[in-house]
Amino acid sequence: MKAINLVMTRKNSIAIEFDNILPELLFDKSLTQIQDSIIYMGNKQLPLSEFFEVEIEGDCQNSEDCLINIEGDLSRVKRIGFAMNSGKIIANSNVDFHVGALMTGGHITVNGDAESYAGREMTGGTLEIKGNVKEFCGSSYAGEWRGMSGGQIIIHGNVGKQLADFMLDGKIHIRGNCDILAGVHMSGGFIQIDGNVTQWIGGQMKKGIIVLNGKIDSMLPGFVFQEIVHNPLINGQYFIGKYRLYSGDRGVNGKGQIWIKE
Amino acid sequence: MIEKPIKDYDKEVKNCSCSYCGNNCDDITYLLKNDEIVGVRHACRIGASKIINDQDQRLLSPMIRNDEGILEETTWDVALDKTARLLHNSTRPVLYGWGETSVEAIKKGIKIAEITGSVIDNQSTICHGTSIQAFQNVGHPVMTLGEVKNRADVIVYVGTNPMDDHPRHLSRYTTFPEGFFRRNGRQDRTIITLDPKYTNTAKVSDKWIQFNMDEDYLLFNALRMLLKGEELEEKEVAGVSTQQLEELIKIMKNAEYGALFFGLGVSQTLAKQKNVDVLIQLIEDLNRYSKWSMLPMRGFFNVSGFNIALTSETGYPYGVDFSRGYPRFMVGETTTIDLLNRREPDFFMAVSADPGVQFPGYTIKHLVNIPTIQVDTHWGPYTELSDIVLPSTRVGVETEGTAYRMDSIPLFMKKVIDKPKNCHSDEWILTELYKRIEQLKQEDE
Repeated sequence: MKAINLVMTRKNSIAIEFDNILPELLFDKSLTQIQDSIIYMGNKQLPLSEFFEVEIEGDCQNSEDCLINIEGDLSRVKRIGFAMNSGKIIANSNVDFHVGALMTGGHITVNGDAESYAGREMTGGTLEIKGNVKEFCGSSYAGEWRGMSGGQIIIHGNVGKQLADFMLDGKIHIRGNCDILAGVHMSGGFIQIDGNVTQWIGGQMKKGIIVLNGKIDSMLPGFVFQEIVHNPLINGQYFIGKYRLYSGDRGVNGKGQIWIKE
Repeated sequence: MIEKPIKDYDKEVKNCSCSYCGNNCDDITYLLKNDEIVGVRHACRIGASKIINDQDQRLLSPMIRNDEGILEETTWDVALDKTARLLHNSTRPVLYGWGETSVEAIKKGIKIAEITGSVIDNQSTICHGTSIQAFQNVGHPVMTLGEVKNRADVIVYVGTNPMDDHPRHLSRYTTFPEGFFRRNGRQDRTIITLDPKYTNTAKVSDKWIQFNMDEDYLLFNALRMLLKGEELEEKEVAGVSTQQLEELIKIMKNAEYGALFFGLGVSQTLAKQKNVDVLIQLIEDLNRYSKWSMLPMRGFFNVSGFNIALTSETGYPYGVDFSRGYPRFMVGETTTIDLLNRREPDFFMAVSADPGVQFPGYTIKHLVNIPTIQVDTHWGPYTELSDIVLPSTRVGVETEGTAYRMDSIPLFMKKVIDKPKNCHSDEWILTELYKRIEQLKQEDE
């Protein structure tokens, strides 16, 4: 196991972009090579050592055994684990935009909050955020009509609007509350929300499953109540309690399922 | 008091384009005396006021703010050199505005953004940007205003008040004009306004449907259900009775040619782009029964032109970030308001726009702490914040150029009078700036 420890030494109001700091790119690099890795700040390209102290522990033969541990105030560090395909990243702070976006494999843990675009269009791997997340988590990028299509997102806190916009596949588990338009345009995948949802869940949903363990004020007119099921088996998992099943969105001839705990 | 018609003029210039709103009325006549505009015909009250008061508060010389905080007149060379150096040395520059200049100038601006690694953004970021996102996501059934004039028998305005914002929209394109298939003008058309407020447009409409603010998404979803022949369980949706909605859908389904116009009352309320998204799908659904199209009510006369030019060059409509050498666009990340709220920009240039009027207070505060450049025609709140002022000329009055109307029709805007002696067109200013930045880049190499 190789651990690359990065400790932030300088914070700037201009965000830095971290897409070159990935286990698959750094697992076989020396300390000097890692220190010289390019990161981006605005229109400038700078070496990693300008902002971080680097330390290496152990060694590994492939990227799956590589861990990048990042310390310091990362609230202006964007693209942590962007397009990552293997290994592990732990960010011990709040993080900026695009954490885990486009990731295809590996595991990212954020011990803090995340800005918008977390896990957007991810196709594999696991993204776990211990705090709150802002908007467009697990969604598609602007102009794109294919969102998250694989992998797993676990959010321990609350989530902003448009969660899983255009989701195709994969799993999302939100332990807190969720803002408007969760699962909008969803055409596959599974979302579990343990907290409350503001409104308009599943708008224009074609397929997929949403389980809501908290409360919602009202459903969109496109959803039809089907039945009440006790302890339903949903997506291979038993949910304990009485659940109301809605199907829709009829506006798009959708066959999505929304299960709401009574 | 009724003002008398202007008779004291020596020249008429016909078929000019108005450089105020997205209507781009191209039937304006300017009345000149000694090569100065003394009157205007056919323009609306806002356009006329803008044209006639053109020389009021006019910026006439380049200025630089001195150490005591006073704007001092300077030469073009000094002002341009300093601007070029500031832009060249910045890390997160933002070039904002562009809604009230020509496409020719916008293209120069895009080139500058590309070589300096800047973010280039326009007023869409605070108005119809969300609509454009929806167009890119789900498509957009388009039309021209000419089609509306000649064919439309049902006009629906949603969340917009053209009687006050685009005063000639109803008289020139939608409601009152006689069209090829609408010989009786107003009598042949049904006008419906959907708006939480009883606006002046609602007052001249045949039907006003009041719905709850921020519930557009719910309303349009319900309309889609009704259009599909589904029954609604609710007696009221978004504050509108189901019976009213059924009547509305009946009128829309039976239209021979329907045209829907929407404004910021749709694109900037709670669900933002998803409001527009579901509205587009409602219009698409309506096309199974009749011919329907839709358009956003664009504000500035060339705000649409910027989106078209930028999309043509980069694939993205606004908020394009060239910091990595290639274009990127992320709503909330590369858009001006968000960048300023995050205190990221270290250089800000506004071209034919006044952020001092348009931006929220918290956003503007950051502009006080960074180098700010104004390229514009008139003194405004942003002038008070600017470190360098580069006075430009008005497109369609002192400079010719191309602008795109709200329905994406390009219009040539002709020059009517000579520019003030020490002012230059946006295109000239940006070309000079580009040359200087290129030179600085060569010196670096």
